[in-house]
Amino acid sequence: MIYLDNAATSSPKPESVIKAMEKALRKYCANPGRSGHKISEETAEEIYKIRRKVADFFGCSHPENVVFLANCTQAINIVLKGILRKNDHFIISNLEHNAVARPSYKLGKNGTELSVFNAFAEDIEEELERVVKSNTRLIFCIHASNVCGKVLPIEKIGEFCKQRGILFGVDAAQSAGIIPIDMEKNGIDFLCIAAHKGLFAPMGTGILIANSPINNTLLEGGNGANSMSLEQGYDMPEMLESGTVNVPGIFGIGAGIDYIRKIGINNILSHEIKLCEYVYNRLKNCNKIKIYWSQDLIRTPVISLAVEGVDSGEIAAILNREGFAVRSGYHCSPFAHKALDTEETGTVRISPGITNNRVQMECFCKAILGAVEKT
Amino acid sequence: MNEHIIATGTVTNAIKGRDALKKRGFYAEMQRMKSTDRKYGCGYAIAVRGNLSEIEQILKEANVKIIKVL
Repeated sequence: MIYLDNAATSSPKPESVIKAMEKALRKYCANPGRSGHKISEETAEEIYKIRRKVADFFGCSHPENVVFLANCTQAINIVLKGILRKNDHFIISNLEHNAVARPSYKLGKNGTELSVFNAFAEDIEEELERVVKSNTRLIFCIHASNVCGKVLPIEKIGEFCKQRGILFGVDAAQSAGIIPIDMEKNGIDFLCIAAHKGLFAPMGTGILIANSPINNTLLEGGNGANSMSLEQGYDMPEMLESGTVNVPGIFGIGAGIDYIRKIGINNILSHEIKLCEYVYNRLKNCNKIKIYWSQDLIRTPVISLAVEGVDSGEIAAILNREGFAVRSGYHCSPFAHKALDTEETGTVRISPGITNNRVQMECFCKAILGAVEKT
Repeated sequence: MNEHIIATGTVTNAIKGRDALKKRGFYAEMQRMKSTDRKYGCGYAIAVRGNLSEIEQILKEANVKIIKVL
C-alpha cells in the first residue's frame, strides 16, 4: 500500500519512535508523579525532559505549560470550554475542523456568542476588525487546513489579539512539526497539537501548550499531589492532566521531535511540497479533475481533488484497490467544504509524507487518471 | 548545614524547583514526601541545603509554589 494519508496520521512511524516507546514500556514502566520509588521518579524525570523538549520546539519558556493529552480535539475542548463563559464573544474561521466547529456550536447554543471570519480574506486584520466586538474574549482558529493546505497568518492574528487584549488559540493539528511555530513570537496563548501527525508520535497523543491560565477544568481527578483536598488545584500541568498519562506515547513524542530536528523541519516540508507540486502539475490539465491546493507561498502538503459529478468515495475506493491509501469525503471539515464549494461530492485528499517519493506520485497520478476514466 | 524539606505538591513543581536551585549552585533533590500530611495529602518535595530565605526567593522567582517547609 502506498500511504498518502499523513494528514490523518503520519505513517510509517520512524523506527526511533517505536524504539522509544518500547524503552518506555521496558525500562520506565511506572506511573510518573505518583510514587516515591526509583522507577516512578525516573519516569517522572524523563517525562519532564520531554515537556522541556516540546516547550523548546514550540518557543515556550515554561515546560510546565506543556500538557500531555489523548489528542488535539481534547486540547481544543479544554481551551474553548475552560475559557469561555456565557455572554463572552469568540471568533473562529470558516475553515475550522469539527474539533473546533462542534464545541463552538455547542457553546453558541449555551449562550456564548460566536462570529466567523473569512480565512481567505486578502486583509486579515480588516476582516477581524469586521467581526471583533468589545466583549470578544478569544480568537481561536486553525493554522493549516486539513482539506486544502491553506495556512492562516497566525503572526498577524496574534498581533491583532495582543493589541486588543484578546486571547489567541491555535488548532495546530496540521501544522505542528510541519511549519515552524514560535508561540511567544506569534503571541499564541494556547497551542493545540496532534502529536500523532506532524510530530510522528503514536495515535492517542495530543498536546496543549497553555501560556495563559485556564480557570475551569473539563476533567478532575487524581494527579499525584494534595490528595486530601477535593479541589483540583491550579498547578500546571497537573491541573489539566488528571489520571495516568500515556508514558509510551510521550516517549514517542520526544523521539518524534528528535527525528524532525535531525532531518530539519524545513527539509521535510520542502520534500513533501515538491511531491504535491508534482501531482498538481501532472493533473492540472485534466479537465475532469479539479484541484484544491492553496497557491500561497506558505502552504502545507495537503491536496484535495474532485471529479465532477462523481462521489469522492467512489474514486477513493478505486484508488484503494490500486494500492493507494487516501481519504475521501468531508474530512470532518464541513466549513472547509462549504468554503471550497465541494459539498456535493466531497474530495479525495492526499497528504504525502517524508517517506514518499516521486515515483509513487507518478503511480498515483496514473491511478487517479485511470479512475476518472472508469467513472 | 541547614537542611530543609520543601513541599511543592506536584512532581512537576518539584523538578522545576530543584532545577532552578541547582542552577544557582544549591544542593537540591526531588523526593516523594516521606510522611503523609492530613491537611495537604501526599505529594512531592525538594530536599535542600542552605539559606532558607534565599532558597525561597529562588523558588518564588521560578514560579514554584511552596506548600510548606517541613
